[in-house]
Amino acid sequence: MDFLAAAIRIATPLLLAALGGILSERAGVFAVGLEGMMLAGAFSAAIATWASENFGAGIAAAMAGGALVGVMVAVVTVRFRADNMVTGLAANILVAGLTSFLLRAAGQGGRPPAIHLVPLAPWPIPLLSDIPLLGKLLFVHPPLTYLAIVGCVALTLLLGRTQLGLTLRATGENPEAVFASGGNPKRVRVLAVIACGAVAGLGGAVLSLQQVGTFTDGMTGGRGYLALASLIVGRWTPSGAAAACLVFGAADAFGLRLQTFGLPTSSYVLQMAPYVIALIVLASLGRATRLPAAIGQPLD
Amino acid sequence: MSGLSDGAAARLTLSRDNLLPRIALAVALSLACAAALIALSGHNPLTAFAAMAAGALGSAHQLGVALNKTTPYLLAGSGVALCFRAGIINIGAEGQIAIGGLGAAATALLWPVEAALPAILLALAGGALAGAAWAALATAIHLFRQVHEVLVTLLLNFVAILLVQQALAGSLGEFGAGFLQSPLMPHPVWLPRAIPGLDAHPGFIVGAVLAAGLSWLLWRTRFGFSLRVAGASRPAAAYAGFSVGRITWGVMLLAGALAGLAGGIEVLGVQRRLIEGFSLGFGFKAVTVALLGALEPLAVIPAALFVGLLEAGSLSMQRQVGVPSSLVAVIEGLTMLFVLAATVRRRAG
Repeated sequence: MDFLAAAIRIATPLLLAALGGILSERAGVFAVGLEGMMLAGAFSAAIATWASENFGAGIAAAMAGGALVGVMVAVVTVRFRADNMVTGLAANILVAGLTSFLLRAAGQGGRPPAIHLVPLAPWPIPLLSDIPLLGKLLFVHPPLTYLAIVGCVALTLLLGRTQLGLTLRATGENPEAVFASGGNPKRVRVLAVIACGAVAGLGGAVLSLQQVGTFTDGMTGGRGYLALASLIVGRWTPSGAAAACLVFGAADAFGLRLQTFGLPTSSYVLQMAPYVIALIVLASLGRATRLPAAIGQPLD
Repeated sequence: MSGLSDGAAARLTLSRDNLLPRIALAVALSLACAAALIALSGHNPLTAFAAMAAGALGSAHQLGVALNKTTPYLLAGSGVALCFRAGIINIGAEGQIAIGGLGAAATALLWPVEAALPAILLALAGGALAGAAWAALATAIHLFRQVHEVLVTLLLNFVAILLVQQALAGSLGEFGAGFLQSPLMPHPVWLPRAIPGLDAHPGFIVGAVLAAGLSWLLWRTRFGFSLRVAGASRPAAAYAGFSVGRITWGVMLLAGALAGLAGGIEVLGVQRRLIEGFSLGFGFKAVTVALLGALEPLAVIPAALFVGLLEAGSLSMQRQVGVPSSLVAVIEGLTMLFVLAATVRRRAG
């Protein structure tokens, strides 16, 4: 049970970032910038909560910080038609430097300020949390974990059951058709990438507000790329991505276990699992991967 | 991003469109943003930039450090430039450098050679071969299974870095070191201080010569022509009878070998052992440098120098003025974004 709880804990930030990534990629923009969006979210959340002593402000700031990175990526990829991947990479480098720089600028004499936040406490859901075994596992989580689950359901409905979702998917598959039917595919892409940033920013906030209680340089540590892998393995669906995040979380939790039992070598192989699984999924599906058809293609 | 040769005149310029003014503008804009950030943090931008310049160029030792920092960006960056020219977005240099370091270190430790020159050449060949092999794996998955090359190269980066950690945690690691590193390399493979008066290994010279060679390959050979055609338009390349598969293999293996060499030189010339995370971020900055050099191998030389000098100078800027050295990553990221925005692609195909 502890093991599963650890898997859920590790999966939560990944899932939020992956949900954002699905928004962006289904609209036709590769989400390599997830790492930077998460890092910006983690940073803004920590700084805002520290300055205002209010978690609500921190969460709003996380969304704003991530969305800001989304704006940058959207402008360069959609307006200037630059390569999606390389732009995402550039945003990641920029955010890594900028958060580290601003953290030190916020402190005294070039040193980062001491930020110690009390991590968000679990909110047990009345009644449900009293169910033996399952109650503890599923219904005693900090708030952002519930948000990730709700977000997963909401995004599934949005993509499958709404006009907005249809337009979003069409923009990723066949932007000319969206244009022909009176839509504005460029605007859809810009908004999708900004929304992706806001949601991925929440994923970053999970790290700084809910799990660690502070911000450290590069604290996302590649989780944005892991989220990217999970949305590929989940084949661009929220539920698939959620399953992939849980598997990755379980692999990671298992690796941590192994380490405590004194088998350190295998943990690196286990950490490879998400990336290797993603590669195997991509390679085995080949052409049938169903990558959004117009992904990465600039619009005129 | 890519252009066909317009004959002799094109050989002298960066590409069909001369991108130099736009790239200069992009660099100026990012430096202006950096200056604003420095001012925001309560320091004088001019003092900070002066400290940075003094830190990078102030002494023979500092300049040597800067040239050593430039080397991996130059080697890997010119390979990335070649791939991008061919329309192949290879962002796998990060992993290829790490595997190259592993290959060079393993060669040096497992096949010790007494004489310095053969020992060095053997170890570096091991590094280049390992980097090329890692790129070959990516190319095979990309071509045979029709998987987008960016996804393959990106995912393999993480596998590569973990593979290096695994090797260091296993047989290649130094027993009882407390963290993941190999034993010290045997003395014969240490790269000499080759540039007179400077504290630098020969990596920069090697990189500059290879970049010149790649530029020749790009503009003066049939293969170079075919890869430029493929970069401009895949259908045109196919119509002209060029095999896009062969072009992809060619540029990927070359880029992988160069990145592997970069990793090997870093291990033999700077760290003198394989250390976990020794190349963190090198491969991504190689992409920065390739873009900054307008995908022209010769122009990658000054582009890599720019980044190398920034990084060499940033630490003294932090020490003397108190401006955090992470400003360099801000400048790199901004430069990359501005260059991307400024060198708008024509509609291809």
